[in-house]
Amino acid sequence: MNAREVAIATSITLMIVLLAYVIEAGGLGPIAPEKLRELAASYIISTYNPWNITHSAQSLEAVTAIVWDYRGLDTFFETSVLFISIVGVALLFRGYREKTGVGGRGLSEIVKTSTKILAPLILIAGISIAIHGHLTPGGGFQGGSFIAVLLVLLSVVFSLDFVVERGLSTSRLLTLRSIGLMGVFATSIALLLVGLVTGVSAYVFQNMVREGAPVSMPPWFLDRPTGGTLLFFNVFEALAVATGLSLAFIVLSLRREEVEEALERGEWYE
Amino acid sequence: MELVPVAIAALSALLSVVATYLAVRSRDMLSAAVFSAAQSTAYALIYYVLMAPDIVLVYVPVSVGILPAVTVLLIKKTERYER
Amino acid sequence: MSDPVSLLLTVLVLSLVTNIGISLYGVFTRPSLVKKFISLTIFSDTLNSFAIALGFRRVARGYPSIAVIPSIPEDVSELRAAAGTAVDPLPQALVLTAIVIGLAVYMFLAGLIVMYYRHYGTTHVRPAEGGSIG
Repeated sequence: MNAREVAIATSITLMIVLLAYVIEAGGLGPIAPEKLRELAASYIISTYNPWNITHSAQSLEAVTAIVWDYRGLDTFFETSVLFISIVGVALLFRGYREKTGVGGRGLSEIVKTSTKILAPLILIAGISIAIHGHLTPGGGFQGGSFIAVLLVLLSVVFSLDFVVERGLSTSRLLTLRSIGLMGVFATSIALLLVGLVTGVSAYVFQNMVREGAPVSMPPWFLDRPTGGTLLFFNVFEALAVATGLSLAFIVLSLRREEVEEALERGEWYE
Repeated sequence: MELVPVAIAALSALLSVVATYLAVRSRDMLSAAVFSAAQSTAYALIYYVLMAPDIVLVYVPVSVGILPAVTVLLIKKTERYER
Repeated sequence: MSDPVSLLLTVLVLSLVTNIGISLYGVFTRPSLVKKFISLTIFSDTLNSFAIALGFRRVARGYPSIAVIPSIPEDVSELRAAAGTAVDPLPQALVLTAIVIGLAVYMFLAGLIVMYYRHYGTTHVRPAEGGSIG
């Protein structure tokens, strides 16, 4: 144990003690207050409020309303960060090409059969969570993660060949992922375009009627509230997250042969 | 009434401390990944008790599903034991 | 401090603080990049848990409810009743995106570590000291 380790241990212990003291002394606010904060109460009261529609998102679920309506611009740029990270992964391993017939056999027959039973259930659960994101807990990010787990499971259990032969090659996944991002973008400016055509003013990321901007997305579909733009945002975001995460996983799990072929073709920096 | 769920949350928080310690201390990366997944499971239980179902729905696939898979893949492509 | 629920919540928060310390120790002192990677994921999860714990509340009777209006309201008073028992939705919305973005960034980091290993033949932060091949 040299002096460096002693210094690190001492400073970390000191940090733990001080942070615990600050929290216990109430420096970050009370841990579980009886009263809801004013901001949170205003979010919950205005999330589905037909009597005050200029401040409402017409979504029963407050979290999805905050993610895609009240803080929509924030989430849009976070989606861009997701896209850039996925592009970064694809760029790190550039020059690769998926090959079939390298010899992936997948796992045993028992695992394959049980995965065949599970796979449609996971897919339906993911889609349901995504398109009911404005009514029940869930949304685009959750549904997309569910579907990404399904694709990861398929590529592990049935081998990479199976997924690529079914048409989910990395270039197609990247295309689908771009379609998702373009869908999010188109939904965010849809009402702005409607306002431009009809000659009234409108905002980017507008959902319901706002003051001075009388255009609105349809708040109801048959007998269900749609949350206006929230439904479209959730569906496109689920597509983007599912294809993006599974694309990154497939690129990371490429086999040695494929990467070595890329090395031989010289598309590599030394 | 509200004692039981909060007690479960506190207990899983203590379990997550044990899992984190084992994950950081162990020399075998594969068991570190497994302990990290155990810590994620304890956190998912905490989120459930703290009334955050949205976070549970996104945290279980991401941190219990995909992230250990990525870590195991990383260990398979690099080396298993820490020197 | 006297009632048991506050005590249990204090235990929860102190455990999270301890987790921050342990994972920071892993990030600082472990020589292997893979171990740093695992410690970093634990660290960010713990910080997200802090945000969630900040959004928790207590109600006078019973247990708090989730931040969802249970049915289509007939009246404004139903919304006020929901705000009387619901937890804070704002930290949940912030953490929700942070988790998914974090996963994508970790995948990029994993790709970088694989590249590091292909270049140096080791995952030690100082390849000259710890690497046997490189």
